[in-house]
Amino acid sequence: MTIIQILFWLLSALVLLSAIMVVINRHPVYSVIWLIITFFGISGHYILLNAQFLAVVNIIVYAGAIMVLFLFVIMLMNLNKDMEPQKSKWLKLVGAIACGCLLLVLIAALKDIDINNQIAETNTGNIGLIENLGTVLFTKYVIPFEISSILFLSAMIGAVVIGKKD
Amino acid sequence: MDLMVIDIWLIIEKLALVAIVVSISLLIAMYSTYAERKVAAYLQDRRGPNRAGPFGILQPLADGGKLFFKEEIIPLTSSKFLFVLGPALAMITALMTSAVIPWGGTLNWFERNISLQIADINIGVLYIFGVISLSVYGIMIGGWASNNKFSLLAGIRGASQMISYELAMGLTLIALLMLTGSLKMSVIVEQQINGPWNIVYQPLGFLVFFICALAETNRTPFDLPEAENELNFGYHQEYSSMKLGFYLFAEYIAMFISSAIMATLYFGGYDIPFVNESSLSASIGHNLVTILGGFALLLKVSFFLFVFIWIRWTIPRFRYDQLMNLGWKKLIPLALFNMVITAVVILLLDK
Amino acid sequence: MNALIISAVFGVIMMFTGIFVKQKPVTRNIAIAGVALLLLVNILEMSGIDFFKVHTAGFMLFDRFALLFNSVAFGSTLIYFILSAPDMEKVGHYYADYFALIFFILCGVVLVASFQSLLILFLGIEIISIPLYILTGSNKRNLISNEASLKYFLMGAFSTGIMLMGITLLYGATGTFDTQFMNIETEGTSALVIAGMLLLFFSMAFKVSAVPFHFWTPDVYDGCPTVFTSFMATVVKSAAFVGFIRLFYDAFGSIHDDWKLVAAIITALTLLVGNITAVFQQSVKRMLAYSSISQAGFMLLGLLALNATSKEGIILYATAYSLATIGIFAILLKMNDHSFESFNGFARQQPLLAGVNVIFLLSLAGIPLTAGFLAKFYMLKATLESGDFLWLVILAVIMAAVSVYYYFRLIQAMYFKEGDGNAIEVSPGFKLMLVIVAACLIVLGVFPNLLLNWLYF
Repeated sequence: MTIIQILFWLLSALVLLSAIMVVINRHPVYSVIWLIITFFGISGHYILLNAQFLAVVNIIVYAGAIMVLFLFVIMLMNLNKDMEPQKSKWLKLVGAIACGCLLLVLIAALKDIDINNQIAETNTGNIGLIENLGTVLFTKYVIPFEISSILFLSAMIGAVVIGKKD
Repeated sequence: MDLMVIDIWLIIEKLALVAIVVSISLLIAMYSTYAERKVAAYLQDRRGPNRAGPFGILQPLADGGKLFFKEEIIPLTSSKFLFVLGPALAMITALMTSAVIPWGGTLNWFERNISLQIADINIGVLYIFGVISLSVYGIMIGGWASNNKFSLLAGIRGASQMISYELAMGLTLIALLMLTGSLKMSVIVEQQINGPWNIVYQPLGFLVFFICALAETNRTPFDLPEAENELNFGYHQEYSSMKLGFYLFAEYIAMFISSAIMATLYFGGYDIPFVNESSLSASIGHNLVTILGGFALLLKVSFFLFVFIWIRWTIPRFRYDQLMNLGWKKLIPLALFNMVITAVVILLLDK
Repeated sequence: MNALIISAVFGVIMMFTGIFVKQKPVTRNIAIAGVALLLLVNILEMSGIDFFKVHTAGFMLFDRFALLFNSVAFGSTLIYFILSAPDMEKVGHYYADYFALIFFILCGVVLVASFQSLLILFLGIEIISIPLYILTGSNKRNLISNEASLKYFLMGAFSTGIMLMGITLLYGATGTFDTQFMNIETEGTSALVIAGMLLLFFSMAFKVSAVPFHFWTPDVYDGCPTVFTSFMATVVKSAAFVGFIRLFYDAFGSIHDDWKLVAAIITALTLLVGNITAVFQQSVKRMLAYSSISQAGFMLLGLLALNATSKEGIILYATAYSLATIGIFAILLKMNDHSFESFNGFARQQPLLAGVNVIFLLSLAGIPLTAGFLAKFYMLKATLESGDFLWLVILAVIMAAVSVYYYFRLIQAMYFKEGDGNAIEVSPGFKLMLVIVAACLIVLGVFPNLLLNWLYF
């Protein structure tokens, strides 16, 4: 086992564990904190792939901004574990079956992937560095990039329309 | 960069550097409390601390000792783990930023070039930004875990203030990055050593950045999270002993670090003003110049620390709506304007 | 490209109109002029005059199908603006911003109709969805509107997540976002591709509200301010269908046999549930919501068949369905409440409006001589041409017969029931416009090639 492999398994374990904790924790504030830890784990994976820019942007945007807003809402609404309504047994059963099916499909899909010739470029790839990302974004993917500005503009207008006092 | 081959000396060197940087930060933070009180005293025509040691120079030690020996109280109804996590996070995030700041050039010892920067990563400026965006959690989690309405309100106030001012800060950084063309802190300083400081090109950007830095460190006039008259004592109302100390201390460390960032980004970092480094190092030696550069940086930092303190004892606190108006309606448009102007000028000069 | 850029620019223009123009009629006229301009430049582009020479790098392809659908969408929006724009004033204070959001939605419609890359599909779907969440909740004082908006947002976000997951799996399997170059093998398709395709299928099925992904539709259509429901149920829905068909035609046409059965089951369920539930509705608005589900079932037949006839059919269907539904909603907007009873005695008060309303309803039900009939006919023909699914065709015909019941209930209320109803006042221009729309439906019902020839010449 090389250091990278050890780090990879550690991070994966951390991400999976914290992701599970997000779901099973009954207290919303703890859930959010576990989610933040999940994002850190994912950023760690990005760093292993030498995608430093993605790693740090993941932290700034998700851990630093979106999750703070989540915490905001949860704290202001004073959500406690007592307030979570009990769901009916049948609903739980149906949910379990549906998710089980999805899991089965995904496992079937992932089981026969040929991983040997598509191994990730740990630490050697440089597509995640900011210069390369910038170049690709402004040459090959410039059309989706520009179009996404329409998306953000409409979202901003929407936020103003919804948020402003009548 | 290969993680497989471990250079044992590099690790020792970096660990030593981390230890030195952290202890210097702590030391400076300690003495900024002293400076704060002395400057306040001077501005208010008093003497300030003068009992512990000559000129009261041991006062911070006495304060620290007092905090350590006070009784620890953890409120019964709070979430214990988060209650402890809050101050720890505040402290960690305050110290983490120091990793990418170049504290000086290179030292040439034992045939090794030792860089006085802990990690010269590709995304230096963004790293700082990322850590700053995380510093919200210390306040928020602490405020919430206290299970006290005042603390919660203060925590949410602090968080929304920090998020709002982060935007303007990011926009000024974009203008700066267009100028430097690199996110590496070392490259940014290198450029300023060889050319004029960035403040010459970005006076407006620096102004906005400075105001945002005040807000990010929760210093007056932006210290709403701890506004005594409105929120009792703010988000650390329920804290006692060293946990309170951590919160108070983290503020001073954040002050120190953000001064260092401002000095690095806009005021040439470890560049000694009006001196040509390369000709100086020919006459007095490379190592000495590096050390002098480090002192130059510390001097710039001290100046900023003084400005921070000066502002605190001069300007009254904002009201909350004024704070939000300033952030969203004044600083962000200003920063955007600055960004656009910078972009246009760069484009015109390139053509 | 013309329409994409101009619709985005008009979105921004409408934003500024909100600041500088205080008179609502002026705002409205600017918006109407904007859509008319969009329609014009789009028709010009169909005849080969492209103002913006943008190299799309294979992300989008403005073929006849895309351009023709864009024209249909812009035409429907134009009619919608002329008929219903005055009613938007009642919703809230941000009159100009609503128009801006609708222009952005049109931008998304153009993207969804012409994408060649999954990235653009995703962006298009999102550009359509986000303004719609806002429009749904635009009546801020009304709790039902708020609830509908939140529900729509949560479900929509969830389905977007599923779509992204599907796109990720497909990218992992094929190494490209480009729908033309996925090169999916017919034999021994990798399970990743199948999983990704299914996830995409489900998320698109959500967007077109196919059963069993339809649960949001009645609540959202009901809670949304009626004037926006009209837009949502017509232009947006047909755009989602065009995107759906385009995606499966381009990317998964080679493995048609693998997903045919899933599509058939979903189509059958949609036809059944949509029509049967619509029978029991007491409010016209809710009935129209379920009817939109049942019409989605017919449009799904086009997806199932996936041949040239189905492409013609979907264009015709989108036109017929959009025009008729916009017309009915325009009349519904003038009523005081949305129950069937409020239409009692309507024919005596407003004989002309009742008359055109009958034409719209007949078209929706698929009675011959209306465009709706031919649209359904094309769909069934396409399905028969593709073979295999005779049982589905029979089911669809039975369900069309069921739909006649609830559409005729409205006609019965208008003509054969006594009632004071609510005296509504409409302008002559409104009446004229409705008559024109009804005339369009009949003309298209007799000469569908007036529209469909554009696909080829």
